[in-house]
Amino acid sequence: MPRTPSRTELLQGTLDMLILRTLLFGPAHGHEIARHIQRTTDDVLQVEHGSLYPALHRMERKDWIVSSWQRARDRNREFKYYRLTPLGRKQLAHAESKWKQIATAVARVMWPSPIER
Amino acid sequence: MWDELRALAGILPKRRRRLDDLSRELQQHLDLEADEYQASGLSADDARAAARRAFGNPTLVAEDVRGEWNVRWAETLWRDIKHGARTLRKDAGFSLVAVLTLSLGIGANSLIFTALDALLLRPLPFAHADRLVRLYASKNGVVLPVPGGPSPPDARDYAEASRSFDQIVVYDIWRKNVSFTGAAAEPEQMRVGLVPAAYFEALDVQPLMGRLFTEDENHEGRNYVVAISAHLWATRLAGDPAILGRTLRINDEPYTVVAVMPDTIPHWMEAARPGPVEVWTPVAFPSWSSDAARGVRGGSALGRLKPGISLEQAQADLTLIAGRLAAAYPVDRDVSVVVTRLADTRAGTLKPMLFLLMGAVALILLIACVNLANLLLARNATRQHELALRTALGAGRGGLVRQLLIETLLLSAAGAAVGVAFAQLGLAALARSHPANLAQFDGIALDWRILAFTACIAVLTSLLFGLAPALTATGLNLVDVLKQGGRGVASGRGRALRNALVAIEMAMSLVLLVSASLLVQSIVRLQHQSLGIRQDHLLKGHFYLPPARYPDAAAIARFSDAFSETVRALPGVVDATITTAYPPNNGWLQMLNVARHPVTRLDDVPSAQFGVTDAHFMRTMGIPLVRGRDFSVSDTVERPAVAIVSAEFARRYFPNEDPIGQTIHVGPPPFLQLPAGTDTADSADVTVIGVAGDFRNAGLTNRPEPHLTVLYAQHPLVNFGFKDIVLRTTAEPHLVAPAVTRELHRLDPNLPFAEVQTIEELVDQQTGGQRLTATLLAVFAAGGLVLAVVGIYGVVSFLVAQRGTELAVRMAIGASGRTVLWLVLKESLGMAVIGSALGLAAAAAGQRMMSGLLFDVSPIDPLTFSVATLVLLGIAAVATLVPGVRSTRIDPARALYQD
Repeated sequence: MPRTPSRTELLQGTLDMLILRTLLFGPAHGHEIARHIQRTTDDVLQVEHGSLYPALHRMERKDWIVSSWQRARDRNREFKYYRLTPLGRKQLAHAESKWKQIATAVARVMWPSPIER
Repeated sequence: MWDELRALAGILPKRRRRLDDLSRELQQHLDLEADEYQASGLSADDARAAARRAFGNPTLVAEDVRGEWNVRWAETLWRDIKHGARTLRKDAGFSLVAVLTLSLGIGANSLIFTALDALLLRPLPFAHADRLVRLYASKNGVVLPVPGGPSPPDARDYAEASRSFDQIVVYDIWRKNVSFTGAAAEPEQMRVGLVPAAYFEALDVQPLMGRLFTEDENHEGRNYVVAISAHLWATRLAGDPAILGRTLRINDEPYTVVAVMPDTIPHWMEAARPGPVEVWTPVAFPSWSSDAARGVRGGSALGRLKPGISLEQAQADLTLIAGRLAAAYPVDRDVSVVVTRLADTRAGTLKPMLFLLMGAVALILLIACVNLANLLLARNATRQHELALRTALGAGRGGLVRQLLIETLLLSAAGAAVGVAFAQLGLAALARSHPANLAQFDGIALDWRILAFTACIAVLTSLLFGLAPALTATGLNLVDVLKQGGRGVASGRGRALRNALVAIEMAMSLVLLVSASLLVQSIVRLQHQSLGIRQDHLLKGHFYLPPARYPDAAAIARFSDAFSETVRALPGVVDATITTAYPPNNGWLQMLNVARHPVTRLDDVPSAQFGVTDAHFMRTMGIPLVRGRDFSVSDTVERPAVAIVSAEFARRYFPNEDPIGQTIHVGPPPFLQLPAGTDTADSADVTVIGVAGDFRNAGLTNRPEPHLTVLYAQHPLVNFGFKDIVLRTTAEPHLVAPAVTRELHRLDPNLPFAEVQTIEELVDQQTGGQRLTATLLAVFAAGGLVLAVVGIYGVVSFLVAQRGTELAVRMAIGASGRTVLWLVLKESLGMAVIGSALGLAAAAAGQRMMSGLLFDVSPIDPLTFSVATLVLLGIAAVATLVPGVRSTRIDPARALYQD
């Protein structure tokens, strides 16, 4: 993917995790996922649509999520809904623990506690 | 083409559906976005534009998504390959056995397919080669031995009367002494093609330099021109650009080089006279195509059919003409002609052996595949737990099948690589050491078609034998497998299938074993049969006394006597004889008359193999004298002419009477109206003085024919310049050869000493094809046996592993080790017995294929059949006992608590 800048590479794991976490509440289509991430982070994290859909399809290939066309509850239209698989759940747990590790490590560097000094 | 293939595979429509899907998905996202903007107060158009701005370029996004698909595909494949390789490495024993199994099958097939290609498939190097045919004369429906062509006048009449041929040419190959003027002085014996002007035209071979022979040059006196091969030109004449017009000396006469011919004509074409033909001169015997030569058959004959003429048409055409000739000329009575495509003569005597070997390698491949299938079935069965677990964790069935298939493909690729290496080794050995008379194997090598063939075998085996086990392995009810623990499913049907496979495998290896041992026995008998002489320590060599310096029989006799005399005096030499005949082949068939039994019909004229020798013939060869006396040096030209006949001669032509003292007239009977000019040089009366034991004179595999031996000293008219010397040595024969050459050159430095080999080597050379076949077949049989053992061992081990719990329960409730062992043995011996019965039936059914290849061994030799069966059963028992005994050592407690 030469077209994708390295910035997305860096965010890729994080975006995947956020998507998986979003899907933990139940099936959702791409727009809902983007909206949900945006709203719950008070618009801090703007999900770029240019990376959302590649990410969804990548995760589908990895069998973390599955998709199907379904009628929306509030609209008379069909959307492509994504749903977590057991493998996706496992992956979420894995990514989450890894993220925590990284966050803790980063936190220790940034705000070292006096006890550890 | 790629697109078509993809469409064919049904991938393209699937991909189009996915693309439609994607654009629909993105479009709906845009619509939702626009709806939101509209809700916040923008106009419909502005909302759409804003949504698009926020989204970015949808085409770009779609492309990124598609990139994900492709990357994922490649990555998945790579991951699967890595995973497969890791799995295979972890199970090194299984992988090794599987790879070796496949490589044996693929290697053997590549080897034989290469041979098949060289002998049957590869197109001949001539233009319109399908129109090239060989002509063979037949008498009473029996085709003459190769080269066996019709007589030149008959061939001329065929060519004139027939409407099916562009050309018919009769030519001959003679051994002559060639010296390259200016090069090292010593001439060497070479095979020289004596050809009519139309010879190269018929083959459609054009000279690289110079011109073809003319009709005029086919006349004696005007024939001193020569064409040489490019190979000879390059290697012996330094590629001299001014070669045309230079002079070569052939039999001490100067010939002018008029052409350099390309190296197109393959060496196998003159299989009857092994060795390359690289020098051609115009055939120019005065009587070559006169009526006098109408009975002179046995040269080489080639024809080129007119375009569009079928072989059948040509045959019918010539048969008709031959019938007319048979009615017109007495010597052509019962003579006809057989037309064969030149390409079909290439495999020669190897053809039936080739088919046998093809059968053998097909069996090997089948055995290998059965083994592989068995191994995979067994392996997948033990992996069912793993597969079920992975399915439970969300892996799709497709993914699992793909994984299993990739493992199989990896195995096949490794097997193909090792197999090609095996074939390469075999071919290198073949190219290095093939017998001289099998020129078809010159420069034999693997080419891309063979490699493609191998790749096909590999892919097909993996698909066929990897897919079935993969499907059975993954098509299982998860709950069943998981509930069963690690034991896997020992379903009755799976087991029966495996047992049947092993039985078939045993049957096939028994067929291989039987045919290999029959052929090996045959070759041993052929090799060690008595030729009727003492065949050890006999060295032979050929020399030719050219008429330029040895113009008459007296000069030839003087030289021959002097040469053999000095050779006899050499240390390490017991005796020596100058002769035209030596076993196992002779080929000089002579018409004769027995004075006491005159005949009146041509068909009744007796004939015998004829040898012209000196007085030392019998003693040197070690041929026993049955009756009468041997030749003596005192049997000179002044004394009555004497002859020694063979026992078969005496039996056939002097039944119930004493042959000693009988008079034989050597030559055609007086009633035969011979056309003027016929060479009757060989007519003479001889008196029989002795009866010799029979010796092989009509080939290794044929019964000895009647043989008549006379002395060149007493028959100047049959004392020709073609001579062989045979010597009996005490030392290793080849150690004496240099001294013999030295003596020859001391008498005449311009005579090459050629075709030096022992009689045993000559026999070896003639049995080369059979020995090659026997060796290959023995190797294949050994390979087949190893595979069968692996198969049996694998299946029984698997059986024991699977039934571990059952066996443990049996032992826990009191079954003895022997009972348990018997339980295991019973099953595999059952397979072995069924397999053997099948194999014996198949071997017996295939006897017709074998019988033509066997010498002195019955194709259903009971001893061979029973020993081979016992060997196979014994090996099966051992292969069973190892895992069987292991089963009796199971600790019941451990086996039961295992799960």
